[in-house]
Amino acid sequence: MTSEMITYICKRTVVSTKPAQAGKCNPLSVFDRLMEKNHIRIVYYFPSTRNGEPGVVTKKLRESLSHVLTCFPIVTGRLQKKDDGHWMIKCNDAGVRMVEARAQGSVEEWLKNVNRDKELMLVTWEDMFHKPYFWATFYVQLTEFEEGGLAIGFSCSHLLADPTSATMFVKAWADTTLAGTMLAPPFFHPLPPPRLGNKNPNHNPYTDLINHYKSTIDDRSPAFTNNITNYVTATLAFSGPMVQACMLDTSRPSPFEAMAGLLWVCVSKVKGMKQGLISMSICLDMRKQLGLDKGFFGNCLVYNKVHHAESLLDKSELSEAARAVGESVTKMNNERIMDLIEWLEHHDYEFPPLMNGHDLICANLEDLDPYATLFEEGFVPIRVSYYVEPVFGIGQILVLQSPPSEGPLSRMVMVTLPADELSKLCDDDLILRFNPTILMG
Amino acid sequence: MPQILPDFSNSVKLKYVKLGYQYLVNHILYLLLVPIMVAILIEVLRLGPYEILNLWKSLHFDLVQILCSSFLIIFIATVYFMSKPRHVYLVDYACYKPPVTCRVPFATFMEHSRLILKNNPKSVEFQMRILERSGLGEETCLPPAIHYIPPTPTMEAARGEAELVIFSAMDSLLQKTGLKPKDIDILIVNCSLFSPTPSLSAMLINQYKLRSNIKSFNLSGMGCSAGLISIDLARDLLQVHPNSNAVVVSTEIITPNYYQGNERAMLLPNCLFRMGGAAILLSNRRRNRSRAKYRLVHVVRTHKGADDKAYRCVFEEEDKEGKVGISLSKDLMAIAGEALKSNITTIGPLVLPASEQLLFLMTLIGRKIFNPKWKPYIPDFKQAFEHFCIHAGGRAVIDELQKNLQLSAEHVEASRMTLHRFGNTSSSSLWYEMSYIEEKGRMKKGDRVWQIAFGSGFKCNSAVWKCNKTIKTTTDNPWSDCIDRYPVHIPEIVKL
Repeated sequence: MTSEMITYICKRTVVSTKPAQAGKCNPLSVFDRLMEKNHIRIVYYFPSTRNGEPGVVTKKLRESLSHVLTCFPIVTGRLQKKDDGHWMIKCNDAGVRMVEARAQGSVEEWLKNVNRDKELMLVTWEDMFHKPYFWATFYVQLTEFEEGGLAIGFSCSHLLADPTSATMFVKAWADTTLAGTMLAPPFFHPLPPPRLGNKNPNHNPYTDLINHYKSTIDDRSPAFTNNITNYVTATLAFSGPMVQACMLDTSRPSPFEAMAGLLWVCVSKVKGMKQGLISMSICLDMRKQLGLDKGFFGNCLVYNKVHHAESLLDKSELSEAARAVGESVTKMNNERIMDLIEWLEHHDYEFPPLMNGHDLICANLEDLDPYATLFEEGFVPIRVSYYVEPVFGIGQILVLQSPPSEGPLSRMVMVTLPADELSKLCDDDLILRFNPTILMG
Repeated sequence: MPQILPDFSNSVKLKYVKLGYQYLVNHILYLLLVPIMVAILIEVLRLGPYEILNLWKSLHFDLVQILCSSFLIIFIATVYFMSKPRHVYLVDYACYKPPVTCRVPFATFMEHSRLILKNNPKSVEFQMRILERSGLGEETCLPPAIHYIPPTPTMEAARGEAELVIFSAMDSLLQKTGLKPKDIDILIVNCSLFSPTPSLSAMLINQYKLRSNIKSFNLSGMGCSAGLISIDLARDLLQVHPNSNAVVVSTEIITPNYYQGNERAMLLPNCLFRMGGAAILLSNRRRNRSRAKYRLVHVVRTHKGADDKAYRCVFEEEDKEGKVGISLSKDLMAIAGEALKSNITTIGPLVLPASEQLLFLMTLIGRKIFNPKWKPYIPDFKQAFEHFCIHAGGRAVIDELQKNLQLSAEHVEASRMTLHRFGNTSSSSLWYEMSYIEEKGRMKKGDRVWQIAFGSGFKCNSAVWKCNKTIKTTTDNPWSDCIDRYPVHIPEIVKL
């Protein structure tokens, strides 16, 4: 049924308008290299525009993509291994792959019936080739809906970009289409270097964070070879007042901590934990902590395990969960991240790890601001969905911003769990107390 | 083919001897005339006016004789002026600039090659080696249909490319010259490999609503030298039709000819041919004389098709799998050299100064009579032309011609830079090269330009133009945004 709804028109390569400087190479940072096994997929849904002619919008977007690629030589480059065995990007101007497609019906109709599998059909992706030098790391799919609307599917290897960078790229593309200039040009530079001198001899590097990374890297368990679990994704929208109520209940000042705590408790329940909580890691953007510009292009997401106190009364489990999340967030400060970077620089690993392969991952993607991506004046995206693939292990929770019409405190949560657990989650009492609207799943 | 004179050409004394010899032979008529006139003047002064009057009266002319002589003189003058060939002027020309979004960097070309020729890594390797040594740059363009994975060379896409290229070039020409479509009397379109029905010239007539009594021609199958063949045809037609405008459109449509097999000899054109086109306005109207850029002096066409090897050297055929492609034979360069020699032998006497022709004649006589071992004298064409436009067929062609004609790097700069920026655009490459020379501000009034093109068959065609007025640099030409970056140094091998 779905395969008839989308017809693929063509696949091609889009290159920049000006040739890249020959011979330029960009090495990947330690955070980049950890993410080799993952890729990101984002879908933007736009309402119908005035241009009724099919193909006109696609052509315009393709041309503006060419223009914006001139400022992102990393996006059009290709992966190559340096002499020391680490990845780098050779800026050889090869381009990004673009697929053009057409779908029946309108965007609004599609959004009413969408699920994970259908949504992933709007984003094209190819796994890494045997010879990565000829493998495109960025893919764009433009799907025009016959009765109005447009879906832009954007996917990229996690080696080169995290969700923040990917959103920034699409925003730059939108700015170029709209006004011809980018409002926030990108910065390609390495992570801050390790501090020299003045080291306190009694300085104890924060071993918890490093231990978490160490155990993930060393974990060669069959979690990621066992791929028969059928994961399904649900999008739950929590309105502003509800999020506020949750924050009051947990007495946490930040919506992320409250939401993370809530979902942690609920997912633990559906997983069958009678007491206590399943192991969870949070994933945060560390640009501010490291003093990096918002335009920093690359990976800056750090994972940290959340530790909670065991054996509590049921009623305050939610606040304890949220408190534990809050504690984990505070612990991720500049000093500790710098220690982590230093440790990673000195520890090589043979096989790249799967950072989201074991624990339940809860990622804070609140500050990405994807709804500011306007390709045409006044046409705000109806919805933006994020996927960090592949999902293994317990599951994944992404806390995202909601469309601006819902208010600043409202949140959209995309939960990926095995199919049976997800349906139980959506019927859970605690979740239903906060009255989420189920947008998908 | 080195010089026959002994090699002390480094000696300064010899250089002055050469210069003196050239001056003497080229201006021999003036040098002989001046003493004669001086002698007559002295004689007249010596005789005095009365003597001359007496001399005049002694010659008895009666009326009939005077009338007959004057009629004879008038008759001869009329016949002379009527039979003089009409001058053909090139008013202006416009080259097509492909959109930046059609750009094909090396890396993209190789990746596509790899994806399409998955099962033939050797063919991919071959293409890569060709591209590395090709002399092309990273800004050459292929039509949109070839950007798809896999390419979709349908007839519709080919027509689309034709419309895009030809109409853009034509619009640009009409704007530059202020020509109205209704004033076009002759239309010639040449495109070697794409020949739909109705023809491309009909497509133009339809688009621009040209007159119903227009003389239109569509030349196909004539290869990369078809541009000069069209110019030749236009010139001949302009001799027959007075007061006319002729538009010549030269292009090559890449879309239908992208070879999708893996025969090596046929993969070469894929690597070199790129999108491009040019539209040229020729006229024999007197009012265009002052504003025309060039005057056409000679067109010389040489066809070596009588020789079997030459005939088969660029051959379109099906490969073992039934896919059609153009196969280039290994002795292409040798045959091109032969064709060039033929062409030079014909054009030499038309353009070379007397000094060079005399030297050539002496060497020829010497070889025949005294010693056949003398090496043939290669005339110095740099004395006959200020600018050279060699068809940018490939790096090897330009290298070969530079060596054979003993041209300096600056003479072939236009050809090399056109190959780098636009690739091999087939028949229109000569016009991109002219545009380069103009935009560099090198084209002055009185400069002579030699355009040489090679094509399948095997043909070698030349055209000689004389610049009518010093040409100022403009902004509406394909080089406007990058001329400042040129010339660039093109390495022998570009590492991919």
